[in-house]
Amino acid sequence: MHVLIINGSPRIKEYSNTDKILEKFIKGMCENGTTYEQFEVSDLKQWDKIREAYYNNSKILIALPLYVECIPGLLLEFLETLKPKNDGTGMAFILQSGFAEGIQLRCGEAYLKILAQKLGCEYLGTLVKGDNFSIRFFEGEQRDKVTDPYTEMGREYSINGDFSSEACRRFTGPEVLPAHIRFIVGLLQKTLAKKMFKKIAEDWGCTKEIDYRPYQ
Amino acid sequence: MILIVNTTSDTAITEELKRCIEDKTIEAQIIETAQLKISHCIGCNYCWLKTPGECSIKDDYEIILKKIIHADQLWVISDTALGFLDHKGKNIFDRILPIATMYLKFVKDQMRHVPRYDQRTDIGIIYSGDVEKEYLKRWTQRAALNFESSSLGVFSKDEVKEAVSCMCLS
Repeated sequence: MHVLIINGSPRIKEYSNTDKILEKFIKGMCENGTTYEQFEVSDLKQWDKIREAYYNNSKILIALPLYVECIPGLLLEFLETLKPKNDGTGMAFILQSGFAEGIQLRCGEAYLKILAQKLGCEYLGTLVKGDNFSIRFFEGEQRDKVTDPYTEMGREYSINGDFSSEACRRFTGPEVLPAHIRFIVGLLQKTLAKKMFKKIAEDWGCTKEIDYRPYQ
Repeated sequence: MILIVNTTSDTAITEELKRCIEDKTIEAQIIETAQLKISHCIGCNYCWLKTPGECSIKDDYEIILKKIIHADQLWVISDTALGFLDHKGKNIFDRILPIATMYLKFVKDQMRHVPRYDQRTDIGIIYSGDVEKEYLKRWTQRAALNFESSSLGVFSKDEVKEAVSCMCLS
């Protein structure tokens, strides 16, 4: 199997969480001889090549971050330039987000089914998972802990050619966090997480409070 | 105040809106974006962590952002593509991140960003072209969570009167 992989994140490759996810996913996917070519929508210079690859490949995998409950504007802008294929091409998606709960991604997932149909492709499922916001801020083992599970999903995809397996479905994790976990996480957000965000902001050269209001 | 952002080049829609609004005591501001430069969101997170509340992209979106934080309602007029808003309409929503902070909290059973401002802005869509309307209704309801507000609904450009009936502020 040969797969065209499109990273639909508007973030440049270096800082793209989706790219780090793909790195691990591809590792698993290639173990049984599956080959791939990968492009980034964030690099406008690649758009002609991605279009060409879209028309020339029969297995397409689009990986993307959730942007305001659906697909990012830049990916939409690129997709608007494509013609529907209607040739049996299979299209699958990796949808990832910062928010952790599965329910946060379902509206975006629902659109991806519509999208595949609008592009005249067979919808081959979406690998849905959140809790990926920290990838950019972590390095080494800490980052691997977040991204490593995608390697197994790469294996699943290369075996099945889609994301319909039970393992892929379970990969999402809980739809909503249980009440007692929400209580603890809620407390952490008011305390430790605030400190952590302040620290990151300082490291980025931020001189204002995180809840600063520039326009009021 | 009601903020209407027309991302299409069809000013006939906003002309009709103006006519419909005239009869009512609705304070509305209309922004035509056809001649404005509005980029997509690049996901840099600067508006949360480096320059809180300020977008790193210095373009005409700032005009909209400064008005949204005082608007009771935001209506986006958009062309459609692939069954959804086209990218120009979607970009208006993707670029709202500065109105949220990096801080998180639970709203009912779901995590959300803590809003930066006190204003709560309900959102509505007026579209031109073919769209998966049931999906767009669902998406608008979901998108409203990012404003900690409610959806005002989804209307085709042939239903401007119906949309205006939702513009009377309580």
